[in-house]
Amino acid sequence: MTPDQLQPSSFDSYPPLARSFAVEHLGLLRQLPLTVCPSFLAQISDLDTRFPIERKTLAWQCDSLAALPQEKRDALLAPLRAIAMTPELEKLDWVNSPAVFVERLSAHLWSTGQINSFHEGSRELFAAIPDQPNEATRLALIVVGQGADTSRASILSKLARKGVRLNGVNPAIAQQQLLEAFARHAAKEKEAYAHWYVDGGQPWILPESVRASAIQVSYPQLSPLRKRVLQRMQGILNTNQANAEKMRSDLAVIAPNELRSEQVVSDPILQRFYTELFTSGSGTQIFSTSFVQWAGRELARRAQPHTVLLRYTPRQRHRGFNEMVSDPESKVLDPEGSLVDAEMNAYYNWIEMGRIAAPGKLTVLAWIEGSSKAVMVSPKTRPNTVSNQAVTIEQAMASFAVA
Amino acid sequence: MVSATSFSSGLALTGSAIRPADKTIVVTFGGGARDEETFAEEGQANIPNLLHTLLPQGTFFTQVRNAGILGHYVATASIVTGVYERFNNFIAQPPPNPTLFEYFRRELRRPETDAWVIAPSNGFQKIGSSSARGFGPQFGAGVILPKRLLSAASRNTNLFDNDQLQHFLQDNYEMPSYDISATAQDNEMHLDTLESTLRLSVQDFVKHAKTLDSADELSIFIAKRLMDRQAPSLMMLTLHDMDVAHSGAFSLYIDAIQRADRLCAELWKAVQSHPEYKDRTTVYIMPDFGRDADDDPAGNGFQHHRTGSAMARTTWLLALGPHVRQNTVVDRAIESIDLVPTIGCHLGFSTNSPGRCIEELR
Repeated sequence: MTPDQLQPSSFDSYPPLARSFAVEHLGLLRQLPLTVCPSFLAQISDLDTRFPIERKTLAWQCDSLAALPQEKRDALLAPLRAIAMTPELEKLDWVNSPAVFVERLSAHLWSTGQINSFHEGSRELFAAIPDQPNEATRLALIVVGQGADTSRASILSKLARKGVRLNGVNPAIAQQQLLEAFARHAAKEKEAYAHWYVDGGQPWILPESVRASAIQVSYPQLSPLRKRVLQRMQGILNTNQANAEKMRSDLAVIAPNELRSEQVVSDPILQRFYTELFTSGSGTQIFSTSFVQWAGRELARRAQPHTVLLRYTPRQRHRGFNEMVSDPESKVLDPEGSLVDAEMNAYYNWIEMGRIAAPGKLTVLAWIEGSSKAVMVSPKTRPNTVSNQAVTIEQAMASFAVA
Repeated sequence: MVSATSFSSGLALTGSAIRPADKTIVVTFGGGARDEETFAEEGQANIPNLLHTLLPQGTFFTQVRNAGILGHYVATASIVTGVYERFNNFIAQPPPNPTLFEYFRRELRRPETDAWVIAPSNGFQKIGSSSARGFGPQFGAGVILPKRLLSAASRNTNLFDNDQLQHFLQDNYEMPSYDISATAQDNEMHLDTLESTLRLSVQDFVKHAKTLDSADELSIFIAKRLMDRQAPSLMMLTLHDMDVAHSGAFSLYIDAIQRADRLCAELWKAVQSHPEYKDRTTVYIMPDFGRDADDDPAGNGFQHHRTGSAMARTTWLLALGPHVRQNTVVDRAIESIDLVPTIGCHLGFSTNSPGRCIEELR
């Protein structure tokens, strides 16, 4: 079957929202080459349990591509249509198992040396899609350093090069004021899934005013899901045929109900999101620092939050991989290594939020927990500057945050 | 296709023995290391030995491009064949194209003890020789996988508590283990030949392993032991600790780079203090490729090498040796598959690599 042969009945096995979306965009789907169409279907088929903003974004992309002049669309799709395929790939049931097809296609592109042409073609295609209207102000609060020696002057250096280093923060009230800043910003926008607090350890208590509207999730809270994924990983290791590719493939097809995710959260959208943090992330199953970074990244990519608070706490000390899989309950922590991890991760969180923020609309504040040090990056901060002035988080927000 | 340069130099020496003084050691970082964590300004603190001790004694190539598949086994196989291999990265299989070791041994008529590979990771069992017609294990390198040796020792003896050595016995996050294709022959050194090859008892091997912190340290220990006992003319080792980056822990990735930096210096020091190697050995140090860029939305920064972007494909090469110009930096782009023809044209054997002999290292 080729995409031009798609019929409304092709999507009979899709869930309701997905089916309706696919039928609505059938005209576009029929015009896409086999190298691209399954990628769209992989997103469409999951739409019932995707965030509302993901549905909106996918509709925007499809509508924008459909609205292109035929000649332009043909020209953009030509390089992707020119990718050589194999009969084996073409025979796969890419309508009902699009994710499997996409994974096999990726292996094929690498092994035939076509991966760069594919990436280039994809980049060109998506560059033709105009940006969605985006006026939201976004705030990312990041906390690092619990339990570590934070006296190093170079701490958070990568992020600090982008903004101002604050060396006179009042640590006594920093936590409280960070939470208040989170609540104030979250109060501006009532949209669902817009405000998130992700914690690598035992979470702080959010202000009452924001508890109903913000989603709070922590590494310990998701421990049942994580342990079930680790059990799956152990099972894969026990086959003695494990490799990275097999591990990724086998984890990627785990459905939320297989992990009994409903025991952790009732919302099917969150069930999928939390499940995928462990089935699509690398290291999230064993290191809380990797979990928080990946959660921040996936939130930015998928939920496009207006407000996030990401708190890194010490991960377990590194051990042999198999040992960490089989014995996930290590109490021996590595606060110093975790701080180094979190410094890089905070920089990545800034990059990730920057991808979804409109120009001039993002504020990032990273506080080194328990200390007088913070870094702030916003349109109002100057790159690579230092302030030694005594300041509270509230004052820093008032001075530098995007209103 | 036989490259003109390597073919002509190969013909010139056909029928004669290798110049006995020449020794070659290739060190790859099988983990991928980005410039940002190594030779770029912000990474230089991680590699004081490479930067301040080794680079002034060698020629440094700032742009080495890997245009092949960015998986560690297939990329390492590509480095040793000089051809961008396209086979499944996750099946341990002999490369289809002849390896450096086979070219070297067949054409220069070297004995089987003269070429060795030391690789810490499972999956590299078959890298010592190819399935190419006219080549194969009879011309290949001996392969030592120290972690597998240690694992075998743990099964065959009750000399130690396995828990003490667990950190050696695992592969990294990305590659917990491999399928191994069945072949009639392999050149892997097994526990029963440990003593005869390295003059090292299982007991002493285990005892020494207990004093080390990582698999890469174990590889260097084996390399030095080989130098002492076999003095091979051609040796390759891959350091893999840094591939822990796949777990997303930046600190562990950096620790491993710092360790590799220290171990490279230790190896060079061993070379320069060893009567069989001093002033007659060329050492090539090169990561197999880079890792994804921080700002590439298709990746997740240092963690993986999945995007195929320029940063993931670009790395560096440092060469040191008596015929190599010192304190020299070359910005001209070369490719990772150039290494095999370069060693060939220097030592005097021909290769079928589409890569080119790097003139500065001829």
